Amino acid sequence: MNRSRVLYHMVRADFLERVRRYSFLLTLGFSVYLGYAVYARQIVLQLDSYRGVNNSAWLGSVIGLVATTFLTLIGFYIVKNAIHRDRETRVGQILATTPMSKSFYTLSKTLSNFAVLAGMVLILALAALVIQLSHTEDPHVHFIALFSPALIFGLCALAVTAALAVLFETLPGLRAGVGNIVYFFVWTALLSLSVATMVEGRPITATRYFADYTGIASVLGQMAAQVHQIDPQYTGRASLSVGGLNPATKTFLWTGLKWNSAIFLSRGMWLVIAAVLAFLAAVFFNRFDPAHERSQVKERKKKPGKPEVGEQLGVHSPDLRLSVSHLTPLLRTRPRIRFFSLVVAELRLTLRGHGWWWYMGAAGLFVACLASSLTAARSGVIVAAWLWPVLLWSQMGTREAQFSTRPLIFSAQHAVPRQLMATWTAGVLVAVLTGGGLGLHLLLARDFEGLAAWTAGALFIPALALAFGVCTESQKPFEALYTGWWYIGPLHHIRGLDFMGTTPGSSTPAAYLAACALLVLAAYSWRRVRLCYA
Amino acid sequence: MKLVIEDVSKRYRGEVLALHKFSLELKPGVLGLLGPNGAGKTTLMSILATITRATEGRVLWNGTDVANDPDAIRSVLGYLPQDFGVYPNLSAVEFLQYLAAVKGLDAATAARRIDELLELVNLSDVRKRSLGGYSGGMKQRVGIAQALLNDPQLLIVDEPTAGLDPEERVRFRNLLSDLSGERIVILSTHIVSDVEATATDIALISKGTLVAHATPEALLLQVEGKVREWVVSSADLNAAKQQFQISSTTRRSDGVHIRVLGDAAPEGAQPVVPNLEDAYLFCLSQHRAGASA
Repeated sequence: MNRSRVLYHMVRADFLERVRRYSFLLTLGFSVYLGYAVYARQIVLQLDSYRGVNNSAWLGSVIGLVATTFLTLIGFYIVKNAIHRDRETRVGQILATTPMSKSFYTLSKTLSNFAVLAGMVLILALAALVIQLSHTEDPHVHFIALFSPALIFGLCALAVTAALAVLFETLPGLRAGVGNIVYFFVWTALLSLSVATMVEGRPITATRYFADYTGIASVLGQMAAQVHQIDPQYTGRASLSVGGLNPATKTFLWTGLKWNSAIFLSRGMWLVIAAVLAFLAAVFFNRFDPAHERSQVKERKKKPGKPEVGEQLGVHSPDLRLSVSHLTPLLRTRPRIRFFSLVVAELRLTLRGHGWWWYMGAAGLFVACLASSLTAARSGVIVAAWLWPVLLWSQMGTREAQFSTRPLIFSAQHAVPRQLMATWTAGVLVAVLTGGGLGLHLLLARDFEGLAAWTAGALFIPALALAFGVCTESQKPFEALYTGWWYIGPLHHIRGLDFMGTTPGSSTPAAYLAACALLVLAAYSWRRVRLCYA
Repeated sequence: MKLVIEDVSKRYRGEVLALHKFSLELKPGVLGLLGPNGAGKTTLMSILATITRATEGRVLWNGTDVANDPDAIRSVLGYLPQDFGVYPNLSAVEFLQYLAAVKGLDAATAARRIDELLELVNLSDVRKRSLGGYSGGMKQRVGIAQALLNDPQLLIVDEPTAGLDPEERVRFRNLLSDLSGERIVILSTHIVSDVEATATDIALISKGTLVAHATPEALLLQVEGKVREWVVSSADLNAAKQQFQISSTTRRSDGVHIRVLGDAAPEGAQPVVPNLEDAYLFCLSQHRAGASA
C-alpha cells in the first residue's frame, strides 16, 4: 500500500470517528449559529456608518472573516483531541506498533483536524448563499465572489489552527488545560497582529499581507479604500463586532476583493507554516510510549531508585488465609449526611496533582490581594487571582466521566445532590483560597458593595464551571469560555460582563448571584437526566 | 433479606434488547451469573446497582421497588463494576476516604475500615502511593476494597477477577466464599472456575434470557453420563470437532484427549465425571438448539 493511500485511510478513519459522534452535531450547529448571527446582524461588519449592499461579494467577505476570526478560536478547542482520543481508546498503542513514522502520524492528525474545520467552513459558505437569497438586496449570485474569501482566507488560517492543535497535544505542558489557556493568548496575539497592520493605516505592502494571519487587514484595507473613494470624510475605522454597534445608516457597493499575487503568496506562506507546525509536532510526539506519560514521570521523580509499584507484587506472598473475619462489622445505623467530610474529600481531590509552584502562586495572590491598595486589589490583583485556579475549576463535574468513577459514586445513596453541592462548595473554597485576601480586605474596609461583588464572583465562577463540566463532561468548554469572558469582562471592566465586580461601575452582583443559582440548578437537573436515577 | 427480579427487560437505543423478561429470586449466598460475552450480564448488574433503569419489570429489595426508592438498595449495596476508573493523583487511602464520604461513613469508622480492607486486599504496603502508578490488578483490588467499604448486604461484582494474578484470584475467591454467609453476593463472570469455587447457586444467562437457575450440584446432575473422554490423533481432531460437541482438548503423548458432550458416544470413549464447564456448555447448547427449533 503506498504512502498516500495509508495517509488517506488514517485521515478518513479519524474523520469518520469524529463526525459520527453526537458532539459533531453541536459543532455543525455552531457553524449554523454563526451564519444565523450574520443574518440576524448579531455579528456585524461595519466601516464607520457604512455597510456593504448584501451582494455575493459583501456576504462572501463577511462570512470569510467570520470563519477566520471565530473558527480559528473555537475550532482549536473542537479539534484538540485527536491524539488524546487515540490514547484513551488505546488505538494509539496499536498504531505505535506499525511502521508508521511519527511525522506521518502528526500529518494525518493535522489533515483530519483540517477536514473537520473545513466542514464547518463549508456550512458557513452555504449560509452565505442562504443569507443572500433571503435578504434580496441583490439576487444575483456570483459563486466565486461568495465562496472565495471563506475558502482562501478561512481554509489557510484553519490549516494553521489544525496544526497548532496537534502541536499543543504533543507538547506535555500544553496538552491539557494550560494549553487551552495559552492558545487563547496565542490567538489574541495573531488576531492583534492582523488588526494592527490594518489600523495603523499603512499602505498595503507585502509585509502587511504576510502578517495578516486572518485576512482581516487584506479585506478591510481594500473595503476602506473603496469607501474613501465615495466619502473622503470616512475616518478609516472598520470593525467586525458581536453586537453593540449602532446600525449602519449608509450602504456602499462592495465589488469584491482584488486578488493579487501577494495575497496568494501570503496564504501559501501560512499553509507552509501549518505544514512546518505539523512536522514540528512529530519531534515532540512520544508515540504513545507509557514511559513518557506524565503521571509515571512524576511517580519516578518522587521516588528515585524505588521499584515500580507493580514490581513489588512478587516481593511478598499474600496471606491467602486472611479473610473477612478480620473486618470489623459496621453497625447498621440510619445513614447520616456527612456533608463536611464530603466537602473536605472533594477539596482534596480538587487540589491534588498540582506542583508546589501552584500553591506558592495561590498563596502569593492571596497575600497580594491583602497587601495591595483596595483599588489595585479589586481592579487588578483579583483578576489574576481568579484566573490562577481555572484548571482546578474546569475539572468540576467532569472528573466522574473522565476517570470512569461514575458507577462507584452514583450507586451510593443521595450521591447526586450531595456530591454535586460538595463539589461546588470545594470550588468556592478554591476561590476563597486564591482571592480571599480581597474579601478580607473589603470586610476590614467595610466596603460592603465591593464585598457583595466579591461574594457573587466567588460563588458564580464555580457554579459556571460545574454547570459546564456536568453538561459537557469536558474541561475545554469552560476553559475556553472562561478565559475569553475573563479577558473581555473583568480585565476590561465591562459592565454586565464583569462577574468579579472589579470596579463599582462594572459590578452587578445581584445578577451573578441569580445566575449562580440557575447554573447550580441546571447542573443538578442535567445530572439527574443523565443518570436516570438521582 | 431478599432480592427479587421480576420480568425485567432492557431495551437500548437502536432497539437492542439486552434483557428479556428476566426473573430471579435471591436469598443470602453467592449467585454465580454465568453467560457468554454479550449475554446481558453487565446490563443486569447495572440495573441491580441502580446505574440504569429497566425498560420493563421490577426489582424488589426486601419488598421495595428500587425504581421508586433506589436509596433502599444503595444504602446496603457494594458494587464492583466491570469497567471503572480511579483518580490517579490520589493514593489508595485517599480514594477510599473519598468514596467512604460519598457513602456517608463517619471519619473514624471509615479510617478503621480502610485500614482493614487494604490489609485484606494486600495493598497496605503501597497505601500511600498514587493510584496512577498502580498496575491493573492493583486497581482491581482497590475496586474490591471500595465495594466492601460499607459492609454491604448486597454485593454485586462484575468480572471481578479480570486482571488479577493467580494468587490474587485464589485470595479473592476465598474472600467471596467468606462473605456469603449473611449477605447476597452476585458474581457475574464468564470464567467458570471462579463460579465453581464460590457459588452456592448458579444462573445461566444467554441472549438476555435466563437459561437455568439451579445449585451447582443440580446443574452437574443434568450432564451426568453425558461426558466422555476420547483420545484421538491430531489428524482426526478436526473431524471429531465437526461431529461432536467438545468442551476441552488436551494434548498428551498418546494423542489429543478430548471431552465429548452429549448422548452420542464415540467408539472407544470412556465416561468421566462432569465438571461445571461441561454443564455450562451443555445447557447453553441445549438452549440454543431449543431456540433455533
